[in-house]
Amino acid sequence: MLPYLLRRAASLMLVLFGLAILIFVIARIVPGDPARIALGPLATDQQVVELRAEMGLDDPFLVQLWTYLSGLAQGDLGKSLLTSRPVIDDIMAALPATFELVLFTIVIQIALSIPLGVLAAVYRNTWIDNVTRVMSLIGVVTPAFVLAIILQLLAAYYFGFFPVTGRIDPGIAFEADRTGLLIVDGMLAGRWDVVGDAIRHLILPAVALAAGGIGQVMRITRAAMIEVASRDFIEASRAYGVPERVVTFRYMLRVAAVAPLTILGLEFASLIGNAFIVEFVFSWPGIASYGVRTILQKDLNAVIGVVLISGVFFVVANLVIDILLGILDPRHRLRAKGSE
Amino acid sequence: MSAPPLLQVDRLTIGFRSYGQQPRILHDVSLEVGVGERVALIGQSGSGKTVTMRAIIGTLPMPPGIVEGGAIRYDGRSLLELSRADRNRLKGTGISIILQDPMLSFNPVLTVGRQMDDIVRYADIRLGRRRRAADRRQHIVQTLEKVQLAEGGRILGSYPFQLSGGMRQRVLIGMALLNAPRLLIADEPGTALDVTTQDEILALLNRLVAEEGLSLLLINHNLGVVRETADRVYVMEKGRIVESGTRDAIFSHPTHPYTRKLMAAVPPLYGAGVTTVRNTRAGDMPAIAIEGVSKDFLTRGGWLNWVTGRFPAVRDVSLQIAPGDIFGIAGESGSGKTTLAKMILGLIQPSAGDIRVEDRAVSVFAGTEEFRKLIQIVYQNPGSSLNPRRTVGDQLAVPLKFTGHAGARIPGQVRALLEMVDLPADYASMYPHELSGGQKQRVAIARALSVRPRILVLDEPTSALDVLVQSTVIELLHRLREEFDLTYVFISHDLSLMRNFCNRVAVMLRGEVVEQGPVAQIFDTPRHPYTRALLSAIPVISEAEAAQKPKITN
Amino acid sequence: MSVLPDGAPGNSRMMTSRQMALWRFTRNPAAMIGAVIVISVVTAAILAPWLAPSPESAGAFVDFRNRHAPPSADNPMGTDNVGRDIFSRVLFGYRVSLGLVLGVLGVAVPLGVVLGLCAGYFGGWIETIIMRFTDIMLALPPLAMALAITAVLSPNLINAMIAITLLWWTWHTRLIYRIVKAQMNEDYVEAAKVAGASHGHILFRELLPNCIPAIAVKTSLDAGFVILFGASLSFLGLGIQPPTPDLGTMVATGAEYMPEMWWQAVMPGLAILYAILGFNLLGDGLRDMLDVEL
Repeated sequence: MLPYLLRRAASLMLVLFGLAILIFVIARIVPGDPARIALGPLATDQQVVELRAEMGLDDPFLVQLWTYLSGLAQGDLGKSLLTSRPVIDDIMAALPATFELVLFTIVIQIALSIPLGVLAAVYRNTWIDNVTRVMSLIGVVTPAFVLAIILQLLAAYYFGFFPVTGRIDPGIAFEADRTGLLIVDGMLAGRWDVVGDAIRHLILPAVALAAGGIGQVMRITRAAMIEVASRDFIEASRAYGVPERVVTFRYMLRVAAVAPLTILGLEFASLIGNAFIVEFVFSWPGIASYGVRTILQKDLNAVIGVVLISGVFFVVANLVIDILLGILDPRHRLRAKGSE
Repeated sequence: MSAPPLLQVDRLTIGFRSYGQQPRILHDVSLEVGVGERVALIGQSGSGKTVTMRAIIGTLPMPPGIVEGGAIRYDGRSLLELSRADRNRLKGTGISIILQDPMLSFNPVLTVGRQMDDIVRYADIRLGRRRRAADRRQHIVQTLEKVQLAEGGRILGSYPFQLSGGMRQRVLIGMALLNAPRLLIADEPGTALDVTTQDEILALLNRLVAEEGLSLLLINHNLGVVRETADRVYVMEKGRIVESGTRDAIFSHPTHPYTRKLMAAVPPLYGAGVTTVRNTRAGDMPAIAIEGVSKDFLTRGGWLNWVTGRFPAVRDVSLQIAPGDIFGIAGESGSGKTTLAKMILGLIQPSAGDIRVEDRAVSVFAGTEEFRKLIQIVYQNPGSSLNPRRTVGDQLAVPLKFTGHAGARIPGQVRALLEMVDLPADYASMYPHELSGGQKQRVAIARALSVRPRILVLDEPTSALDVLVQSTVIELLHRLREEFDLTYVFISHDLSLMRNFCNRVAVMLRGEVVEQGPVAQIFDTPRHPYTRALLSAIPVISEAEAAQKPKITN
Repeated sequence: MSVLPDGAPGNSRMMTSRQMALWRFTRNPAAMIGAVIVISVVTAAILAPWLAPSPESAGAFVDFRNRHAPPSADNPMGTDNVGRDIFSRVLFGYRVSLGLVLGVLGVAVPLGVVLGLCAGYFGGWIETIIMRFTDIMLALPPLAMALAITAVLSPNLINAMIAITLLWWTWHTRLIYRIVKAQMNEDYVEAAKVAGASHGHILFRELLPNCIPAIAVKTSLDAGFVILFGASLSFLGLGIQPPTPDLGTMVATGAEYMPEMWWQAVMPGLAILYAILGFNLLGDGLRDMLDVEL
């Protein structure tokens, strides 16, 4: 397992390195002068020249790339023009909120989509299957922003239990200073009021964010289960008298789970993307909100930082998925050498 | 028979609903298996033998399958009327199966031990037995010993893909035997394996039937295998039993025309029926000269596809193939025979050595139009060598188009090619899936011959076909050789077929040629122990032939 | 020897595979509904100037007497904050959405397909470069990237198209690459090489036809998602700018008048959902009909 993990981690590090270069190149080949864009049309030429010098834009391209990469290696993402603080500090401040939201979303996704997909496959072509498929379709086709607005509306006007903005009630005095995650820190501090309130705030944005993925993963779980059900080894297990329940959950699901997990990993980038909308609608103080604000202000350093940190999220999520796949399917780790 | 049969299938009729139609796939099928008896059900693919098996063990999906009539009785009880729970109680303990492909019969992500333990554990629960995990494990290890697997502990901790093919097949038989069933149904056991391994598996099955008092229902298409493992035989064609009887009666006096046709289509290994092909054309210059050829494959891996290892596929092979020869290259899977063929065609470069076709080095000659007009290939599986999404006519036109034939004349040439392989000209507009296996292989042969090459490499051209179809394709190949003065390089694992089709043979083992010579010499006086082992493992269809096989003394 | 050697053709000709596929499609109510929805959306987009009860609403038209009117016979979806007919704006909004779809998929699909074909067929360093680059692109959060690109380039339809196209091809490359890699194990590719076929012939005449079903399904599903993606951009104010009637912008503007004047956000929202639903059902129907896995 360890060599497999090291191999996967190394290749994901390469993805990350490539990503850093790619983002930098994109940011530099975009037409227009970044300093001019950042300062807006009203700035004087003198201001532009000064900012260019400060941002190092007059250096040769490779020097700029080197400065950027070596800064990156030390966690230096430059300064935000919007907040005048180091981008890394802004991001670290906003990160826990996003992390908590995304983690909660993934938990909801897995907890709902895989069991429902299994259910639909087992009761294939019955009303159970039809209902779950319609639900999955609704999840897939409803735009996250439409769902977010509808949920907000319903919560605000019809059932007041779920708050429509923010992470925690402003009336609750609590400093999440250990992990930054309100639920975890609340538990550590024994502040159950904090935990409860944080979960209350999380439900709506997490549901809005999870819906699309739930639909996709459910659909893929169902298809994979049906495909695996037709394999010889399932027929063999049945003929040897292994009970149906064990065949379904141990023999079929374990093989079928590879497909939805892989999709979860790949769709993670879309999930982060949708977080931009959901955080925006729910005024969630995470990096996506920060991202939208800095993008609107054309704050290049901050934008690069946000995209990069999203890439890190993606890479880490896929590493976790790889570990799960390695546990689920021994062929992934034992035969991953590849041959010709 | 005096004792009541253990299994009795009585006028079973099954339909299959699909796309709004309900064709019948079994018509009044009746068969019996007595206690301790070995019964074989013979049929070609699509004859309905697998459906019969699934109906007996209760894994036929219904719907779409529908029992329209008849009954299945096991030990006097009517299986189709039993409650689901009662029926399940018989699974594995009353009736057990061995499915065709040992690789696909295992769950790929669970250890062998886990899968075997589940089978024992849930049978215990159903039967109200209590056993501790350690006792179950001991029982499993003992069962593995019965199938001649001594290292039970190591095997139990392995995943299926870590075992060799022969081991997987043995473990599979062990799995079927775990709960001491009375009836074992075996679907094509050993068919996916090499002939020497298959021979061991059949011997094992025979021994188990004798020692454990099992009844065996063997489902097979290979008459030779059936002769070695059955007391009684049923012959099935298109969903009907057309003939049944004791093994000796069926093999010595087949009465139904279908059975006779099947028998006649099996190429004999020894005896009067054998045809010996001769090459009357041999000149001075070899058609193909292979000198000390080796090929190492590199294994690659990782994110950037770096080389991680090497493994020798062909080792120091030298062969001379004369014009007009039908030169057989025999070997089991992994022996390097297909790699050698691809090197002859210039598709793979040898790591060492030299190949010359009509005295010109392939290394420089390959890829030229002249080379293509000289040598072509027919692949093993026409389902794979024909593009499923292009019409027959389009595919036949490709070699013509790329050898400078005028576009306007191509449709006429395509028609002529189809006629050459006895197919109607209007097949040009069909897609491959609309053709039968044999017809597809004819199209593939026509494509290879479209540019009128002098040499044809035949890579197991009949091994994907039923034996009846095989004989018509072989007939066609003979006729084309006469007509166009062709030289064949015939790659195969089927030695009986090679005995009758080739004039010279080379036997390969792990990348090396261990023996080569005229066909009669190799078969009548084999010298290398591997050749002798191969020949003695071939299942044949008469006692007389079996007596002439080389004897192996262990 | 008989006229037809080796028995009857493999598939009985009672029903050819094409008829069978069509049979599956027409017996699939979801697929038929999808097809009807897609046809209605395309028709609405093409005929918008003639179908719209108030074509002038598509532009910077103002009718303050009639603002915030709820759905009625005259305004089936009500009117917006400056009195424009929302139904008319939705019809014209479909023009914009479908224009975006055509622009994005018209470039991204061919590009992705060609790269996938090349990576799978040539292998070696071509494969390494294309696929590793694709891996890196897939790690980019698409919406964030599109936002950033349009923000820097100044937001409008063309720039949104460019931004989405830049990110979209990767999915097709991955899909086609996987199919081609599987096809490379089939002998027909080598058979074509032995027959002397050129790389172009093998790529586009032999391999491409085997990718077409998957491309058809993927592209149909994609059409819905491009609409969604474009609407998300405009919803955040970084896509198509007013007064061009864009569905995402309409939802964003309408959201300010929630919930009393709900139709202003809900109607365009439902219009987006309707189009995405249509393309999804159609794609699923094609998937069943052509029997492909994505």
